[in-house]
Amino acid sequence: MYQTNARVAKPGLLSQILSPSLKTREAIAAYIFLAPFLIFFSIFFVRAVILAVEYSFYDWRLLRPTRPYIGLENYIELFEDEVWWTAVQNTFVFTIMTVIGTTIVALAAAIAVTQPVRGQGFFRVLLYMPSLFSVGAVGLIWVWLLSTQFGVINYGLSFLGIRPINWLGDPDLVLPALSLTTIWWSFGFPMLILIAGLQGIPEQLYEAARIDGANGRQLLFNITLPLLRPAILFVTVTGVIAHFQVYGQTYIMTSGGPGRASYSVVYYLYQMAWVAFRMGYGAAVAVAIAVIMALLTTLQFLFISRRVEY
Amino acid sequence: MDRLRRSSFYKYFGVYLFLFVLGAMVLFPMVIAVSQSFMTNQEVNRWPPKVIPTEPTLDAYRQVLTQQDLRLDLWLRNSLFAASGHTLAVLALCAPAAYAFARLRFPGNKILFAFLLATIMLPSQVTLIPNYLLMRDLDWLDSFRALIFPGAANVFGVFLLRQFFMQIPQELEEAAVLDGASYFGRFRHVILPLSMNAIMALAIFVFLGHYNDLFWPLIVTSSLETRTLPVGLTILNQSYAGQYRPMILAGAVLSTLPILIVYIVFQRRIIKGVTMTGLAGR
Repeated sequence: MYQTNARVAKPGLLSQILSPSLKTREAIAAYIFLAPFLIFFSIFFVRAVILAVEYSFYDWRLLRPTRPYIGLENYIELFEDEVWWTAVQNTFVFTIMTVIGTTIVALAAAIAVTQPVRGQGFFRVLLYMPSLFSVGAVGLIWVWLLSTQFGVINYGLSFLGIRPINWLGDPDLVLPALSLTTIWWSFGFPMLILIAGLQGIPEQLYEAARIDGANGRQLLFNITLPLLRPAILFVTVTGVIAHFQVYGQTYIMTSGGPGRASYSVVYYLYQMAWVAFRMGYGAAVAVAIAVIMALLTTLQFLFISRRVEY
Repeated sequence: MDRLRRSSFYKYFGVYLFLFVLGAMVLFPMVIAVSQSFMTNQEVNRWPPKVIPTEPTLDAYRQVLTQQDLRLDLWLRNSLFAASGHTLAVLALCAPAAYAFARLRFPGNKILFAFLLATIMLPSQVTLIPNYLLMRDLDWLDSFRALIFPGAANVFGVFLLRQFFMQIPQELEEAAVLDGASYFGRFRHVILPLSMNAIMALAIFVFLGHYNDLFWPLIVTSSLETRTLPVGLTILNQSYAGQYRPMILAGAVLSTLPILIVYIVFQRRIIKGVTMTGLAGR
């Protein structure tokens, strides 16, 4: 039955597509398809961003009845707060260490796993496993591994003659310790991306180079790394954005301590908005974080568009 | 390939060595957590630390599951429920929107899509305070609604699905048009069935992200009954870390077990899904 209908309908179809009534119908259908998404997006994103900016001009404390307009006061206070700048510095240090660490481990793992060795699939599954853990589980396990008195890591180091180290209690070591934890936790995702990148490199390139007498090191530096550059850039910049938002590890493992040595910007936001209940000031912090991240993301776009030249 | 494999063990000795060392480093924290969770508190607080329990005991598990102020089973159910609900909400909002952007002509298509993409630049933190206050005003605090709906309009989801929908040959939809299918019919019966891989990939990605999220559930839930697992673990840690260490490890093990089992069963699918969503981000 459909077939006969189709035969009848077919000549009319082209003219229908061109007719304005169908165009209107298509547009109406499109808006209906979009409506649920746009409603949610407007409420929970657009509205929220606008309000965040607005709130940042008020001295709004959750437990006080009034909320006076104070102009740029929150931003001025933020710029003058040493703790904020400590948090910014910590976050950058942590991000740089973590991104370099994860990228190197992920790259080495991706290259190793794509060699013609046995158990490729097994290792891929195993190495991605920590990425499935919640930050809660990772934090609880690593606090214990890093424990000064009973930690397995200090026990391992004792064989090298190193005395017990207070990883999470030493202001100079707390960020590297959190970074190490995070590298263990999160190198799996960049590894998967780099594996996909490596699989995209044509095998003929290696064969041709081998015929020309290239050794393993030359293959790595003259073929693999240059061709993998876009993928490496991608995991680096997405890593920067992800790790700049570090919060859970700090919250669970150190509470920002010792002192303020592991305060991150998002942890600072949490402290201001949900411990001190300063919504206006917290909004200013959030806007400042958004500005920093937007700059970082712009750098990402610049890097990735540069890829086209290759 | 086979010849290469047989002769390759010595040639790739360095690769094997590296993989075994890295694999051991990845496994080691998990092994310690599991084995020490079967120890008593006295045995765990001892130098040198032990890897194998002398007398394995389920004491830590018994305690972590029976304390009045810990509800691991409930928190697990909450996490699964909230993450599933959120994932469904993301799919229900993003898939139709992605279809409109990929396939339908309407005024503003390009501008709207470019605007959405540009918003990816802003981190979610900027929305936290207004959304938290909105939850409070709607009286949604401490409810699943607060865990499921904010953030369900996921721009990345629209972007990912749009890419896949655009790859589906136009002819298949045209055939459905000849059969008299409406726009919804084409979406439901042509586009959706053909993009199940992409939809599953997005679902895995969104589910894992939500299941492991800490910040938002921490601020919008407050009672023992609505907490999620990651938040519950921080409560466990704050209340019992000093008292009975193996309980903390048992909690970490129990909370990870469900997702690990799912991972081991669907390893290929999950790894593929995560890779696919990751690559689409480029």
